[in-house]
Amino acid sequence: MEILTDLIRSWFGPDKMSDQAVFITVASTMATIMFIVMALCALIFTWAERKVAGFIQSRYGPMRTGRWHGWAQAVADMLKILGKEDIIPAEANRFFFSFAPILVLLGSLLAWAAIPWSPGFVSADLDLGLFYIFAVSSLVIVGLLMAGWSSNNKWALYGAARGAAQMISYEIPLALACIPVVMYTGSLNTTDIVIAQQGGMLNWFVFRNPFLFVAFIMYFIASIAETNRGPFDMPETESELVAGYHTEYTGMRFAFFFLSEYANLFLVSLIAAMVFLGGWWAPIPGLDFAPALTFIIKGVLMVLLNMWVRWTLPRVRVDQLMHLCWKVMIPISLICVVGAGIWMMLSGQAGA
Amino acid sequence: MATEETKMNSGWADQDQVPGIKSELMELNMGPQHPATHGVLRLLLETDGEIVYKVTPVLGYLHRCAEKIAEGINYKQWVIYTDRFDYLAPMCCNHAYVTAVEKLMDVEVPERAEHLRVVAAELSRIASHLIALATFGLDMGAWTPLLYCFREREVILDLLERIAGGRMLYNYMVPGGVRYDVPDERWVSDVLEFITMLETKKIKDYNQLLSYNKIFIGRLGNVAVISKQDAFDYGCTGPVLRGSGVKFDCRKDDPYSVYHKFDFDVPVGMGEMGTVGDCWDRYMVRVREIEEACKIVRQALDSLPGGSCQAIELKKPVKVPAGAAYSRTESAKGEMGHYIISDGGQTPFRNKVRSPSFCNLQVIEKVGVGQMVSDLVAFVGSLDIVLGEIDR
Amino acid sequence: MAQYFADMYQAVSSALIGMSITIKHIWKKPVTLQYPDERQVMSPRFRGFVHNDTKKCDGCGICAKACPVDCIYIETEGKAKDRYMTRYAIDYNKCIWCSLCTENCHADSITMSHDYDHSVYFRDTLVYEFMDPNEAKVPCHRITRTELGWWVEPKAEKKPVEKPAPESGPSDDKGEDH
Repeated sequence: MEILTDLIRSWFGPDKMSDQAVFITVASTMATIMFIVMALCALIFTWAERKVAGFIQSRYGPMRTGRWHGWAQAVADMLKILGKEDIIPAEANRFFFSFAPILVLLGSLLAWAAIPWSPGFVSADLDLGLFYIFAVSSLVIVGLLMAGWSSNNKWALYGAARGAAQMISYEIPLALACIPVVMYTGSLNTTDIVIAQQGGMLNWFVFRNPFLFVAFIMYFIASIAETNRGPFDMPETESELVAGYHTEYTGMRFAFFFLSEYANLFLVSLIAAMVFLGGWWAPIPGLDFAPALTFIIKGVLMVLLNMWVRWTLPRVRVDQLMHLCWKVMIPISLICVVGAGIWMMLSGQAGA
Repeated sequence: MATEETKMNSGWADQDQVPGIKSELMELNMGPQHPATHGVLRLLLETDGEIVYKVTPVLGYLHRCAEKIAEGINYKQWVIYTDRFDYLAPMCCNHAYVTAVEKLMDVEVPERAEHLRVVAAELSRIASHLIALATFGLDMGAWTPLLYCFREREVILDLLERIAGGRMLYNYMVPGGVRYDVPDERWVSDVLEFITMLETKKIKDYNQLLSYNKIFIGRLGNVAVISKQDAFDYGCTGPVLRGSGVKFDCRKDDPYSVYHKFDFDVPVGMGEMGTVGDCWDRYMVRVREIEEACKIVRQALDSLPGGSCQAIELKKPVKVPAGAAYSRTESAKGEMGHYIISDGGQTPFRNKVRSPSFCNLQVIEKVGVGQMVSDLVAFVGSLDIVLGEIDR
Repeated sequence: MAQYFADMYQAVSSALIGMSITIKHIWKKPVTLQYPDERQVMSPRFRGFVHNDTKKCDGCGICAKACPVDCIYIETEGKAKDRYMTRYAIDYNKCIWCSLCTENCHADSITMSHDYDHSVYFRDTLVYEFMDPNEAKVPCHRITRTELGWWVEPKAEKKPVEKPAPESGPSDDKGEDH
């Protein structure tokens, strides 16, 4: 952020622009970069998902588009989806129907602002960064419910109702799992959280103590549910609800949902990398020559883990999902919070 | 079947009592284009949220008048229509039909032909059960077992293609024998090799990946329990009946062909993960039946006798003596029956098929009530219906 | 409470076992073929699209009778020695690849080929005409066929039952070619 501000100031001359103008320029530049990164990662991950699924299922996945292992498949799909007819059902509520995909995309895009890519390179260095991320990613729920309800399709309504219930419930263990880390850091600022993990793999929060490790697992499970994937894809459940909340969507609007799903997936993986896996710090101290790359590699590994889980496990039922959340994950997360606190007290790290 | 009693028990009636709020059941069309209805089955649901209060199967989207067509074409030609009943295990359907015709014609089928029929039918049964596992896993959201099962099924299709010429619709059996003999000696060894591979490695994989997965058990245990009485009342047969703990198998209890020569078990549901007759039991019966079918194939090939494999030449349409015959055989889905009335001509006077899936599906009206929508998907998957057989 | 933790342990351990199975497949070579580039070798008995060799066919119409779905169209004109076949067409929209037509063909002209990928855009194109209308009509009668130099398939004798493949024997050839 500072780098960019300095760059713009030196570019236009020190006194040509007011502070507000500089801020707006920097912010919009960062937003554009984030959006491009998000769209790109959605493209790459759709392709990766299909390749991972393919190799797990002893087949190839896409192979033809673009010669080498079908790398251009996602691009071709995107072009195809752009050319598709945009259908709005006659009985649907047109305003909410068209607005919902934008809201869903907005929810996942906003959260990207507080991700610290490398030292000093973060779009919005908020003091309440982690809190902000969880807050704005809840917007997705609203969009999802809007999409399902306005479609005037019973399956979509089922998907939306399930999705809303699921995502609201899983926000709690997701946030609770991060609380021990916040306790250790003493700050909600995302950069501070990463800086607190300096000094090799053993200083990463996931390996600090057993409670944090359990918290990491809780976070991982909750993040799968939060992105509506893997064994917890209740809002979609293609074998039960046809396609869930986006049953009636076509063309670009459908692509928005798709984009947001993969953006969310990468987002929660990046948060996992940031909060538990040491952010931009390399596993061995002294190898931190490419912080942003290290960070992204960690995120991608988490995404691959997510895909691996998705293509292995059967889906849980909607009431079991709620059971898992309220009766298993929230108590364990709470125990983790208390346990980590006691551990901190005993090891004398309190208030670090 | 949303009787007042079921409404009361499930809390539906209470909601009606809330003053000022009028609530009604939601009608929901599941199918005929729904991914979990295994074809073109349409289920008319009446739901209250996730709970289903009434299920009405609507059939007939795949009706092809096969029974009426039988009256117009001769006995040999109609074998191809039996292929299209249970298109996942066509050999079993072929077997059911030719048995009935042979009873009418009073033909002695050569031993070798009977053995080949048993091998083909059992391989077909394995293929059908593999599909059942695969699609059931898919209904439950597990994609990967689908591809693994299809991979193994592909081997069976290759083997059957080598002996019968078709990959899916074989037209292999004819009244009086089978159309082709074993292609070469390697075929027998290939089948045995595949059977061994399936028994030792693959079934273990499926069990670890799917059957004993905690999520899977959670989805299926205690879900959609078909009691013994219900199974009898609705005429369920095959894995659905055996899943309810009834040890009944036509191959054992009313042996046809040469099944009496082979030694195999009849697996039944034991309620390991809940109640006897739940979805998991029906699923597990299929997995165990694959193992039993492997045993039968091995025995049939080990004791494969020599000689011809066709008793009569059916170059021209034959006249079948007047009379009526009923055959009951154990197809992959249950008891398959063919009732043929002949008036002494080249074509049957009437041909009635008792298809197992049709009877098995009817139980959904009773057992499906009070389930959640997700459980209904599991239930339909565990019944393992094939619409080609239901609508005929 | 013990059940609670046992359930949790089972859920995690069974999930891990499942994941260990799926990860193994990443290193294995996929079993699928890249279809248009690689093709499966069909077994000798494979029943692909039906093919009729009009050089051999004498328009007897047995195949059309044997066909359970009536997909073979044969048109002839004239009678007795002057009987000629003018059209032989197979409608692949209807054909079900049962191979009942090939079983009874005494001229061995209709066979099941190994072709299986004839995708077309229009249904009409799937009605295959096996005779060129500009070329000579196919003589149906045996004597006319020999006179005109068409290939005549030896016909099996009625008696031999133990000989399964009569068309391959040269002795049968002589007995028929008069």
